[in-house]
Amino acid sequence: MISHRDRNAQRISALDERAEALHLKRDMGIADARAMHPSIDVVEADPEADRRLLEGLADWCDRYTPLVALDGADGLFLDVTGCTHLFGGERAMLDDILSRFFHQGFDVRAGLAATPGAAWAAARFAGDRIVPCGEEEALLAPLPLAALRIEPATRASLESVGLRTAGAVMAAPRAPLARRFGALLLLRLDQALGRLDEAVSPRLPVAPLSVERHLAEPVTLTEDIERLVGMLAATLKTDLERRGEGARTLALLLFRVDGAVSRIAIGTSRPMREPRLIQRLFHERLAALEQDIDAGYGFDLVRLSVLTSAAFDMQQADLAGEVIDDGADIALFADRIRARLGEGAVLQPVTVESHLPERAVVTIPFTEAPRRTTPPKKPDRLQAPKTIFPPERPIRLFRSPEPIDVPATEMPEGPPLNFRWRRALYRVTRAEGPERIAAEWWREVPSDEAASTRDYFRIEDADGRRYWLYRQGLYGGGSQVPPRWFLHGVFA
Amino acid sequence: MAMTAVARETVFALRRQIAKIEGTLPERLAAATSDADVNTDLTIVRRGIAAALPDAFLPIGVERLDAALSGGLPKAALSEIHGTQTRDAGAVAGFALSLTSLILKQAPGLPVLWIGTTEIFREAGFPYARGLRASFGIGPEQLLFSEAPRLVDALWVAEEAARMTALAAVILEIRGNPQRLDLTATRRLHARAQGAGRPVFLLRQAAEPEPTAAPLRLIVASAPAAPRDTIAGPLAGSIGRPAFTLTIGKSRTALPGQFTLEWNPDERAFDERASGERGGEERQRAKNSVPVVSLSGRGKDPAAAPGAVLAFPAVGSPAAISPTARDQPSRPQRAAHLGPRRAG
Repeated sequence: MISHRDRNAQRISALDERAEALHLKRDMGIADARAMHPSIDVVEADPEADRRLLEGLADWCDRYTPLVALDGADGLFLDVTGCTHLFGGERAMLDDILSRFFHQGFDVRAGLAATPGAAWAAARFAGDRIVPCGEEEALLAPLPLAALRIEPATRASLESVGLRTAGAVMAAPRAPLARRFGALLLLRLDQALGRLDEAVSPRLPVAPLSVERHLAEPVTLTEDIERLVGMLAATLKTDLERRGEGARTLALLLFRVDGAVSRIAIGTSRPMREPRLIQRLFHERLAALEQDIDAGYGFDLVRLSVLTSAAFDMQQADLAGEVIDDGADIALFADRIRARLGEGAVLQPVTVESHLPERAVVTIPFTEAPRRTTPPKKPDRLQAPKTIFPPERPIRLFRSPEPIDVPATEMPEGPPLNFRWRRALYRVTRAEGPERIAAEWWREVPSDEAASTRDYFRIEDADGRRYWLYRQGLYGGGSQVPPRWFLHGVFA
Repeated sequence: MAMTAVARETVFALRRQIAKIEGTLPERLAAATSDADVNTDLTIVRRGIAAALPDAFLPIGVERLDAALSGGLPKAALSEIHGTQTRDAGAVAGFALSLTSLILKQAPGLPVLWIGTTEIFREAGFPYARGLRASFGIGPEQLLFSEAPRLVDALWVAEEAARMTALAAVILEIRGNPQRLDLTATRRLHARAQGAGRPVFLLRQAAEPEPTAAPLRLIVASAPAAPRDTIAGPLAGSIGRPAFTLTIGKSRTALPGQFTLEWNPDERAFDERASGERGGEERQRAKNSVPVVSLSGRGKDPAAAPGAVLAFPAVGSPAAISPTARDQPSRPQRAAHLGPRRAG
């Protein structure tokens, strides 16, 4: 028995057959139930876990149709239009769904109809029925009002005027109904009867291309899965060729026998359709995920979908039949690294116009997309002095400047004579600077302009190591915060 | 004499055995036994995948060092570059990048992959693309970084990268002496580098030398830089080009030796600096007709000095104003409340 808290009282939200046999009911207070049967086992409801379970089931139902939608907290809509023949007809498909769920340990009820409303009613009130097209009215007529998916308040007021079945509502004149009970009632009725279209919004975007293979004998070995990926990718290749596209994002769905679904996605730096390469990428990904994927009793359905695709540029081979393209090698290399180690495993730096050293370079994940080219050199006067004296920049920069202790400087604004960094004392023999870098006023207004100004010094210690230090803040600048020293980078 | 000849015969016999174990045939191991010229004939030319190519070695450009390494840095091999302390990371990385820069001179446009563990990038700083372009001419579009949280992953990336011919060089940076980076791991890296014909630089920060498969181990430390060169002579108190102290820690061919090299970022070439000798720089200046630093306003500088005119402080002052100070706004542009400026 599962309880939930409603208006400051623990109430029963769900219960099993044995509890029902004890004449316990939903929405009964837990205290009352305990008074009747002290030995009942009450578990606190966990809507979050229920939701996860339902989503897991929805994932699994992906094997029947790509259009799966969640319905409230306890239902799933499957839009099986055009899919039933793959499973041997509607009845066979329904039986397959029911038997598979039963073997997974779920007690499900299903209905199949031409409209979502009728299917909903059939599943909940008629029990495992297939409603042929056009017989929605006959199905709904004897059912209680709850089968119309309407608000409990509307239902209560309908019942108070004597309309107790859906058939009675259908027989009543429409205009007074709409006036008195709102448009939603008629909307639901029309949707259930197929007079109005109702769209089921799928949970996941539908992949433009996907190929799958049902396996009579479930596979468990990673090598087998990889081989299957290669075979599926070969099928996919013809489709992609017909569309003139290559895959940018691919997802591999592994449906386990007991209902768990593993979804493995990879991205590529450039559009790809070669089965061998796709197989290699999944090889890396599967190797990385070896611990996370539990094959259990095996996978009985393997599906490879193209989630996003892009135009594929054909390349002209030279006369010897060889395409010389180093970029492809690097793109594939980067893809493989990323498939195994994650999206940020291969980075490329991009320079950005900024005075602040840490902002002047950003690293982004490697992509083959046209790289951001630096704007053409402006031939103006501002560039000219820089070419003569480019400001010296360190070759390594600390991600966050490291604070250092500076006990003494020769003069307040000058470089330090010695400093302590990571508990070691360094004696400064030579120093160059300062190079003053102020905060970027166009990004944020510094609360204290003097305190965020940095004076950079390039210093050399007694052993010849060269560092880039800065003092943040000014002495006597009217600032309350005393200047602090940081080590920001090292030179060669 | 006879004694040394016998001793060398033994040495060569041993080397021949090593060569046999390694599967490479020494070309002339015993050729030097006949004459007495000890210094020049201690080099061995190896014949393997690497040495079979005509340009198997990358000349570093410093005669003494190239001679010691029998032609330069092996191009298709794993080379270890050591720093004894983490704080030497700047020098170690700088030296490796100088070598990469030399390689890129021959193969321009190819990207360079720098692999490191998260630990080393946190401890020693992340490579800074702007500095790399300024100091070594390696543009940001040529740089690829790979940061791996675990050493295993970094090694795997390095192995995958080492066999790529589309990369100019692979730099793998590791801190300390992890157990996983053993003879087997380095042998795999070396074999792949040999196969692809591309160098793999193994940067080892704060590491003790230990047996690895790399044929060459260089130990790098930073050396005090020479002052900046101006037309008026060296600028006292300034910090000039990067300088390195290089020790050959291990080489199958070279004798141990120590060198002080200076990297010229403008020409992307090495110079050797003998201690206390300024002759090299004199030559250098004669070669470079373009002045490195223009004269101050008093001089007869043919080019009109653009922007602010800068006064240098008295010679010997510890805090000389560097030319970098020119990038700051000139005096009238400075806000008055920022306090007085400390210029000469």
